[in-house]
Amino acid sequence: MATYLARRLIEAVPVIVGVSILVFLLLHLIPGDPALAILGERATEENVAVIRERLGLNKPLYEQYFIWVGNMIQGDLGNTVRGNIPVANEISSRFPATIELSLSALTIAVLVGVPMGILSGIRRNSLIDTASMFIALFGVSIPIFVLGLLLIYIVGVELHWLPFVSRLSSSVQLERVTGLHTVDAIIAGDWTALKDALNHLILPAVTLATVPMAVIARITRSSMLEVLNQDYIRTARAKGLRSYVVVIRHAFRNAMLPIVTIIGLQLGTLLSGAVLTETIYSWPGVGKWLFDSIIARDYPIVQSMTLIIAMIYIVVNMVVDVLYAVIDPRIRY
Amino acid sequence: MRKVSLLLVVAMVLALVPTVSISAQGGNTFVFGEFGNAVQLDPAVVTDGISFRVTVQGCEALLFYDGSTTNPVPGLAKSWTVSDDGLVWAFQLEEGVMFHDGTPFNAEAVKWNFDRWRLTSHPQHFAESVFEYYDYMWNGFDEGSLIQSVEATGEYEVTITLAEPYGSMLNTLAMPMFAIASPAAVEAAGAAYGTPEVGYSCTGPYKFVEWISDDHITLERNAEYWGEIPGNVDTIIYRIIPDAAARFAALQSGEIDAFEGPNVEDLDAIDAADDLFIQMRGPLNVMYLAFSYRVKEFRDPLVRQAIAMALNRQEIVDAFYPPGAVVATTMIPPSLWGFNPDVPAFEYDPEGAKALLAEAGYPDGLSEVTVLPVDENNMVIEDAAGEVIPLTLYFQPVQRPYNPDGEGIGEAMVSYLADIGLEAQLGSVGDWSAYLDARSNGELNGLYQLGWTGDNGDPDNFLGYFFGAGPKPAEGYYYNQEVHDLLMQARSMTAQAEREPIYQQVDAIMHDEVGRIYVAHTGVPLAFRSRVSGYVTNPLGTEHFKFVSVE
Repeated sequence: MATYLARRLIEAVPVIVGVSILVFLLLHLIPGDPALAILGERATEENVAVIRERLGLNKPLYEQYFIWVGNMIQGDLGNTVRGNIPVANEISSRFPATIELSLSALTIAVLVGVPMGILSGIRRNSLIDTASMFIALFGVSIPIFVLGLLLIYIVGVELHWLPFVSRLSSSVQLERVTGLHTVDAIIAGDWTALKDALNHLILPAVTLATVPMAVIARITRSSMLEVLNQDYIRTARAKGLRSYVVVIRHAFRNAMLPIVTIIGLQLGTLLSGAVLTETIYSWPGVGKWLFDSIIARDYPIVQSMTLIIAMIYIVVNMVVDVLYAVIDPRIRY
Repeated sequence: MRKVSLLLVVAMVLALVPTVSISAQGGNTFVFGEFGNAVQLDPAVVTDGISFRVTVQGCEALLFYDGSTTNPVPGLAKSWTVSDDGLVWAFQLEEGVMFHDGTPFNAEAVKWNFDRWRLTSHPQHFAESVFEYYDYMWNGFDEGSLIQSVEATGEYEVTITLAEPYGSMLNTLAMPMFAIASPAAVEAAGAAYGTPEVGYSCTGPYKFVEWISDDHITLERNAEYWGEIPGNVDTIIYRIIPDAAARFAALQSGEIDAFEGPNVEDLDAIDAADDLFIQMRGPLNVMYLAFSYRVKEFRDPLVRQAIAMALNRQEIVDAFYPPGAVVATTMIPPSLWGFNPDVPAFEYDPEGAKALLAEAGYPDGLSEVTVLPVDENNMVIEDAAGEVIPLTLYFQPVQRPYNPDGEGIGEAMVSYLADIGLEAQLGSVGDWSAYLDARSNGELNGLYQLGWTGDNGDPDNFLGYFFGAGPKPAEGYYYNQEVHDLLMQARSMTAQAEREPIYQQVDAIMHDEVGRIYVAHTGVPLAFRSRVSGYVTNPLGTEHFKFVSVE
């Protein structure tokens, strides 16, 4: 296993280098001068020159690339073009928000999606199956901003049940340790803050969970259906095993490989930020920030974030592969 | 099997159970819903309204703008005198003022700030930062700058010497980016001054407390403030809520007390609600349709006038602009001094426009035009052969405060032109930066949309900036010697009463020659909860929350 992981890590290097070159080229080949994009209507020649100098745009492309890579290796992600704020600070301020939201959404998606898929699978063509698959279809089809605004108006404005702006109420103070507000509240032993943080999480997490939940439910269902038709299930039933033992231990365990794969992929997607959900719920994560930075041509942000996202995908994929071996003892690396 | 189902259903229900509670805002906290993150809180190095809306609460300049006008009045400088030649300005400063970090405000501190902005060799003129507004308002840095020297001529007297008279001097000094920062605080923080970790340290009524990127910025009342704070707000929180519908919902639910620019479709709901109200901010902007004077046909004033009469601008304003917007007749908006109320609007008259086109020699209209070359001084070479291209109207690819829907307005304009026989294509040149690029290089050969939001509330900032220099590619190679001379003259004078008629005259000349077509001035609605009172709007947009009270 250790050799396998080491090999995977080494294989990741060319992937990251490839991604970095691709991102760099794409950014620099878009027509239009980033200095002008930053300065807008008031651009003067001197100021355009200052920005170009700062971004190193006067140097040949390959030189710009190596300077950037060199800085990255030394841990220097550079400063944002607008505002001159260290990119590393901005990322460490925003990433915990994205992680907290992603994990909450994924938890909801798994806790709802997997049972829903199993139920549909074992009760194929029943009312439960139809209803579940309808919910799943609804989940993938409804635009996030429609669902988000609907929840805001019903749950937030009309019923006044839950907050829908940001991660904490203005009245709540919380010392930052991990940046994950729920974890920080537990560390501080501050139950009011914990409740406040959880309340703020509910609406965005539920909204963000709809798509992965639907995908997970559908994959679980089809995977279950396939396994339930296998001979060993019939054998297990014939042995007189209780039905939940058959479903959970025999069927579900064997159906898990594709489910774990899809959960891993969803996690990667969620961690790269959720532009719409973050926008609607004023969630200070990385998604909208990256999106805005691309529009504003803030190269240092876009370049750093893309690399981080590539690394997230690589790590998530490795974890999924390791989980394969745990779930299915026949798989050996 | 039944047990399995039950278990699974329980799991699903558990996952969805919400916990119910909501915490209310209390005390004298004013929460302003902001549509984006601030760029930086060092006003000297930013240009965005969001940052300035925060910094003006804490960072004060030598002059303030008076109430809802753009008239400059005493701020940190309580009085001033100017030499007869308009070059030497002496400012007497308020005494006994302290910066937020406890260091004293005095003439040395003012000199230090001006030197920092102006001198590229100054240790705190950080190479990483762009002192964009200084460069732009004072015509460059170092010896090139309009400001030649700033000296402390007393403990509380500063003398600023200019290279040439500058009519907008006082209006410009009141701008939020020329606020005086604590030298000690900037020296201590270095290039990190103004970033979320550090914030600002100046003399104003609200001190910086905290900034969590894309989430909120918190300020608190400065107990040692030297002036008066008419309102009762102790804490200001800027909540960053990027989505317009969510901002409105947050106002309705009471999570925020105010925000700028509600959607047009929400205005009626705000009017109808008992606990909400709207206040309008006067316009400080203009949207225009510019001619490229390289287009041979556009060099004929009859053609330009025909186009001006073909466009139903009232219809455009009604269809695309929020309430409070008006049809523009001049470059200078009505809320600014220098506005000429006597310039008439071009009436919408397609038949008259057709007649003018016929008179100009185009009875069948136009679908192609000839683009002429320019010489090294950017003067158009009239007798050259030129190149025939399709008649094109370029639309602005982004929303701006003065242009809510460039493409929609562009389509409307193209159809108005078609009515008088001008078959124009709707042109696009990529995104915002590509558009600005093409505009600066004079490549928008046809009609093109753009606009302007004022900086210092001085008319020179509207007319002088655009038409004061020689023919520029960025202005479609427009050139009129008389306009140029008048603007240069007005810029060199210091008395507002003498300058005002000159700007009125320039706008009248440009109307008569149809130098450019002005489309709209847009005011900005602000939405409030009824617990808020005392908010004073200002066309410049950077309003002072010290006037605000909350119940």
